[in-house]
Amino acid sequence: MFAFTVARRYLFSNPAQTALLISGVSLGVMAFVFITALIGGLATRLTDDVTANSAHISLEPETRIARVLPSPDAASAPVAIISTFQRRQIRDWTSTVSLLRSHPAVSAISPQISGSAFLVKGEAVSPVAVTALDPANIDTISSISTEIISGDASLGADGILIGSRLAENLGLAAGQPVLLRTDRGIDRLLIVRGVFQTGLQSLDERVAYLSLQTARPLFLLPEGITNIEVKLYEPGGAREVAAFLHEATGLRATSWQQKNASLEGALDAQSQTGTLIQAFSLISVLIGIASALSLSANRRRGEVGIMRAFGVSGSFIAAVFVLQGLLIGMVGAGIGCASGFALCSWLETLTKPDGTMALPIAPREGGYVAVFLLTTIGAVLASVIPAGSAARLDPLEAIQQ
Amino acid sequence: MSTLLEARGIGMTFRNGDELTEVLKGVDLTLEHGELAALLGASGSGKSTLLSIVGLLLKPTAGTLSIAGQRVEGLPDLERAQFRNRRLGFIFQFHHLLPDFTATENVAFPAAAPAGAISPAMRRRARDLLARVGLADRMDFPATRLSGGQKQRVAIARALMNKPELILADEPTGSLDRVAAGQVLDLMREVNREDKATFLICTHDEQVAARCTRRVTLKDGSVESA
Repeated sequence: MFAFTVARRYLFSNPAQTALLISGVSLGVMAFVFITALIGGLATRLTDDVTANSAHISLEPETRIARVLPSPDAASAPVAIISTFQRRQIRDWTSTVSLLRSHPAVSAISPQISGSAFLVKGEAVSPVAVTALDPANIDTISSISTEIISGDASLGADGILIGSRLAENLGLAAGQPVLLRTDRGIDRLLIVRGVFQTGLQSLDERVAYLSLQTARPLFLLPEGITNIEVKLYEPGGAREVAAFLHEATGLRATSWQQKNASLEGALDAQSQTGTLIQAFSLISVLIGIASALSLSANRRRGEVGIMRAFGVSGSFIAAVFVLQGLLIGMVGAGIGCASGFALCSWLETLTKPDGTMALPIAPREGGYVAVFLLTTIGAVLASVIPAGSAARLDPLEAIQQ
Repeated sequence: MSTLLEARGIGMTFRNGDELTEVLKGVDLTLEHGELAALLGASGSGKSTLLSIVGLLLKPTAGTLSIAGQRVEGLPDLERAQFRNRRLGFIFQFHHLLPDFTATENVAFPAAAPAGAISPAMRRRARDLLARVGLADRMDFPATRLSGGQKQRVAIARALMNKPELILADEPTGSLDRVAAGQVLDLMREVNREDKATFLICTHDEQVAARCTRRVTLKDGSVESA
């Protein structure tokens, strides 16, 4: 294609100017890649932090709501009091677990009994949130066994695992007995099998783990469970999977995003800010290309005029300038993507004194395909105006100048 | 000889706001195949405007124009461009070579642009033309490294590339020194003689006109003598 040869020759005719223009495009693209990788990395890190030790979806029975009942006696209380003595529970939980196992997005399942209780050690009393689960799958949702700092994670029939802050508050250590008093008013003496430390105060101070078998009589649930915790291969799809599970089971399905609405809002705001920065980067790149090509078209008016005079079509002239835009866009975007990836990869290696990453950057999430296509297409569009004006040039007027 | 160009009652009026300027007033001009005609006239006589109309770079406001038997004054822009490319050659006072291309590429350009590439045949013809205009040793030189006279000779070769029937030259020696101007004029005379190419040379230089086979003089927008 001869127009391509002419476009290439025009770009090489002033290598310094072309290099400067391509550098500008590359820098803009690099900024885009950096912002995208940083926002992606930050979102991934926050999501990982939130979901690493918690379920992606929690299935529970629907909340019971007191209903207004018709009453023949207007003076009597019109509200039906729902019994709160009988716990909300999932009776037919084995069929729900079977359904979950067949779902391709589900990676792990943990049927649990959750309830409130007090731990009593002599005069010391502390409220705890009890999570009872299958001891064989204790690490399914949270990696408890790796957080044990004394004792071990073997729950057994009378074992309990408590957090380090709770152990400290009650003066407990692994191997010691402690009395558990549930919200059903049932007491049982248990042995502290292990003390864990997650680093999260809410967990280390308020959570205790039991086996399902130990918890059943304590919470008066001989067969049922209170909730099923679910992990997914892709945490990002939790909302959609939760909606499906709610439809399929009738249970209340809460995704991790719903539980952490403020985090999701923050991520959205961060993403929107990033989009604005990305848009401005691209716009500045495209304005640079358009102005450079406009200057080029103006500088070459005489040449374009003589081409038009000896019968070269306007579409050929337009193609020469559009192809210059295409070449600048492609080369600039290619170099920008490569240098952006190199920069992000280098930043990824930087660490703080404590060994953690200095920047939560994800080089693989630089949006390379998107920025390459956007820059290339944008460069072509940016060249349309100078190309059009060159193509419409009156040959006589251009030659006489 | 047969008629190549026939212009009848060519008029050209330019509008500048409310002001109308009549540059050409019913010009009649006929050129036969193989003529080497000089178009003379004082500055402002309308000779460049007439040349632009004959070269299909400007549409007349009145009159008819036929080239090689085809009415061309009302052709749409695309067809005018195609007609210029295939049947007309242009030589301007300033060569307007493409500085980023070699002498050979400049000569081949009018054929290569519509075809999409410089074919081997085009390259051969371009080099033959350059050899003919005395630039055999400058074929692969970038246009920027040629002297003024050499550039104008490349422009002549470029005008001949598509074997045009009519070559229009606007002050072709105007920017050259006496020696270079003489060489360029000799070259045009040689092409006219050997190829039977028809030339219409717009000039105000009596010495150029004296070496042409015919003189057409414009005065105040009309043909004074032909």
